[in-house]
Amino acid sequence: MTEENRNGSSFYQVYEVFSKKSASASFQLQFSLLAPNEEMAMMMAQENFMRREKVVDIWVVRRDHIRGMNPEEREMWTNRLDNKEYRTTKGYGYLRRKWREKEQDMLDEKEILSWKEVKKG
Amino acid sequence: MYNFIEHVNGSEPEAVEDEAKYAQFMERIENGEKIEADDWMPEEYRQTLIKLISMHGISEIMGALPEKEWVPKAPTLYRKLGIMAKVQDEMGHGQLLLRVAEDLMAPYGRSREDLMMDLLSGDLKFHNVFHMETRTWADAGVIGWLVDGAAIISQTNMLDASYGPYQRALQRICAEEVFHAQHGEAIVMALAEGTPEQKAMLQEAVDRWWPSLLMFFGPGSAETTGSSKQEVTTKYKIRKSSNEELRQAFLDKYLPRVFSLGLTIPDDTLRYDEEKEQWEYEQPDWNEFKQIIKNNGPRSAERLRLRELAYENNRWVRRALSNEPVVQA
Repeated sequence: MTEENRNGSSFYQVYEVFSKKSASASFQLQFSLLAPNEEMAMMMAQENFMRREKVVDIWVVRRDHIRGMNPEEREMWTNRLDNKEYRTTKGYGYLRRKWREKEQDMLDEKEILSWKEVKKG
Repeated sequence: MYNFIEHVNGSEPEAVEDEAKYAQFMERIENGEKIEADDWMPEEYRQTLIKLISMHGISEIMGALPEKEWVPKAPTLYRKLGIMAKVQDEMGHGQLLLRVAEDLMAPYGRSREDLMMDLLSGDLKFHNVFHMETRTWADAGVIGWLVDGAAIISQTNMLDASYGPYQRALQRICAEEVFHAQHGEAIVMALAEGTPEQKAMLQEAVDRWWPSLLMFFGPGSAETTGSSKQEVTTKYKIRKSSNEELRQAFLDKYLPRVFSLGLTIPDDTLRYDEEKEQWEYEQPDWNEFKQIIKNNGPRSAERLRLRELAYENNRWVRRALSNEPVVQA
């Protein structure tokens, strides 16, 4: 019997690895790995997932510390958006025609998010 | 990388466990949904995935172990760095795939340790190509170009696989395989455009690897070896094409390139049938294939020994990492 399983399966833990590609990006789940502790998990994360990609930050989280959804919850929550049109711009689609009648362009998402820069005074 | 799935003992589709759940599962698969590790899945699906992915994962590692032996022998510093990067990628692929297999095996209380033990005991098979010997630097090129090329054909065929964790691992793996393919092409190209001696060395390697390349995709039908489970993988949308379709795709893509380098294939019967739109070729010896994957190949014992040595030689690292002081056995 080897030292890894002398105390059952507790030698290795499953860690989930998250990383950030740039300062403005969000953390993204990469994959999971097996490691005996946090420090090794961090090293393995770099070895396994960041050999080429640009990365500015890494999280390793023990999987059993994550409260995820179970299959039933996933089923329930992924279907809940069927009746939420009143929270979106979908219901206001007729405005485009109205504005066109008044010879104006629609201020849609694409237009509004392009307002990062305004004319300098 | 591995397409040939051996018959799974004792996992004959039991009288379908729960017909309503099964129907719902199949509907999800038909709709292109992804199945996750904690979702309900039929036993046959789980067993097929475990067999396929543990074999795929362990084959990555069994391929990387002999490949690392090329690092000191590679002719230039750049080639050493290239092959070293490739070896590290293959080990990384092994790590990803074993994780996927482990989560599938968890309900049975089985872990990575069990997979390693199964490998050494011969219960877990690894890919036919990694049982073969390598002789010259041209082998390193042919392996990178054609063996990895064959692997790319079979892995890209599963990029839409119904099992989410496997499908996600494959996106990453296939992206890295592009580098491996070009690494192999660069070695082959240099030899193909080199001295007569280098050209002869390359031709000799292609001749030697040809039967293994044909075998790579597994037998065309169950009758050949009596144990192909390819239909199960397509039924569950794990992969899209049959062994023979994948072999034909490989021949379509690679043979014109082989010929363009002035290389020949050691098969006088090889020809493209315009009417059937497929390659006619001489079947490799499928009995030999069976022997090879039963660990009776030319280098099976040595490769398993390499794995054992890697495990033994790194024991001190695991000991050093253990939280509890470990008493010498």
